[in-house]
Amino acid sequence: MINNVYYGIFGVLADFSLQKVPNRQNLKFTEGYDIEDSEQLRQYQREEILPPRQSIPWRIIIMVKVISIPRLNDSPADFEKLFAIWSQVNDYFEDVQFDFSQCDFLRSNAVVFFGGLSRLIESRYGTVTFEWDTLKNEKVRSYLCQNSFVEIINQVNIPFLKLLNSSTCIPYREDKIQDMNAIMDYLTDDWLGRCWIQVNQALKDAISGYVWEIYANAFEHAGSAIGVFSCGQYFPKKNALILSVIDFGQGIVANVRNFLSADPRAEHLTAAGCLRWAFKKGSTTRLGISRGMGLKLLKEFICLNQGKLEVYSNEGYALINKDGEHFENRSSSFEGTIFHITLRCDEKIYKLAYEEPPF
Amino acid sequence: MKLIIKDIIGPRCITQEDGQKIYEKIHNPLLKGESIILNFEGVRQFASPFFNFAIGQLLKDIKTETLRSLLSFDHLTPAGKMVVERVIENASVYHTDIDYKKIVDSILEEQEKESK
Repeated sequence: MINNVYYGIFGVLADFSLQKVPNRQNLKFTEGYDIEDSEQLRQYQREEILPPRQSIPWRIIIMVKVISIPRLNDSPADFEKLFAIWSQVNDYFEDVQFDFSQCDFLRSNAVVFFGGLSRLIESRYGTVTFEWDTLKNEKVRSYLCQNSFVEIINQVNIPFLKLLNSSTCIPYREDKIQDMNAIMDYLTDDWLGRCWIQVNQALKDAISGYVWEIYANAFEHAGSAIGVFSCGQYFPKKNALILSVIDFGQGIVANVRNFLSADPRAEHLTAAGCLRWAFKKGSTTRLGISRGMGLKLLKEFICLNQGKLEVYSNEGYALINKDGEHFENRSSSFEGTIFHITLRCDEKIYKLAYEEPPF
Repeated sequence: MKLIIKDIIGPRCITQEDGQKIYEKIHNPLLKGESIILNFEGVRQFASPFFNFAIGQLLKDIKTETLRSLLSFDHLTPAGKMVVERVIENASVYHTDIDYKKIVDSILEEQEKESK
């Protein structure tokens, strides 16, 4: 992956304090971008990282890190590639360009990852450019247009690229705050409501409720300032319906370790151990009110209906499927959590573990 | 007292904020021994954060048996019943005095099993 990353110097700014050159102003640079008009510059001035422009002339150098997006499926090895990209940009606070020339396949896990990562970089006052001109593969181009990724990332309205009814895409969406109705409409209508899973409305409602637990956990526990990112896809040949949800918060493993930090042994808990605990009934990192049922309920539903749930969080990995649950430690890490759900589109298998009424 | 949940919350009972609204309406009457019916007609979607706050939280100062005798649900879907049952079961064994040592012990024990 390192070989896929290179740096470009476009003329303007790296370290403001070191690069000032009296009597020289070089503020126009790459592709018509004008730093004088940029929110980034105004933010630096507000924070007094930069003085007002009138007082000192500046020579500014921007370093751009260019990242080549590879072919990305959804195997553990593909997730490792994503986390390697995260580690390349995580400590980099300036400008990043994503180049698609090597990319001939993308899945929803990659879409949410790049969408969220771009917002993460922007939240740190860096800029992100997706080099759409390098996107030559028609299938990938079509996928990113039809699932609204291009439109949302570019913040432009492209009516002719709206999701087609015949498409197997489930739209990309960004939720900076917990907008309950918008998210539940997305799950109920855009994800489950496209006739790919022939289940009755009551079951759709129940499934949406289980998946909501992911969003509730993310908004309550992750502490992600940039919110939660979702995308999905239906695969007709596999008869599988996928949903990927990511946040770039502190991660489940870190959250568990922090919660247990009163015990000095907590720092030695493995990522797998922390994830295993998080999926147990009643495990919660909040005090005061009993919680910790959400992941347990989701896990039961996935097992019962022969689906698959994969969770990558910090350096931990969890796999839940009909064979049970498996937790492992990974060598690489990222700060955040990805839930990657695969449902089988076979209505015959769907059931809920109903129990006797409590009252 | 009877509460029409759809009128107060809407057709989705999934957030802790909405759960808290119900809790605030029923907590004091239940403490006074008043019987309450929660009518869920028209509510389609449920999730545990709502019930944790609306119902699970009641068990901090009301015994499970007392709650069961005073509180009843109407028109709760099977999916809703399942979630609330799990929440009550969980809340009834929950202790606010969490024993961190025991949790760490249990994770370490699992880790040890796995490494063998």
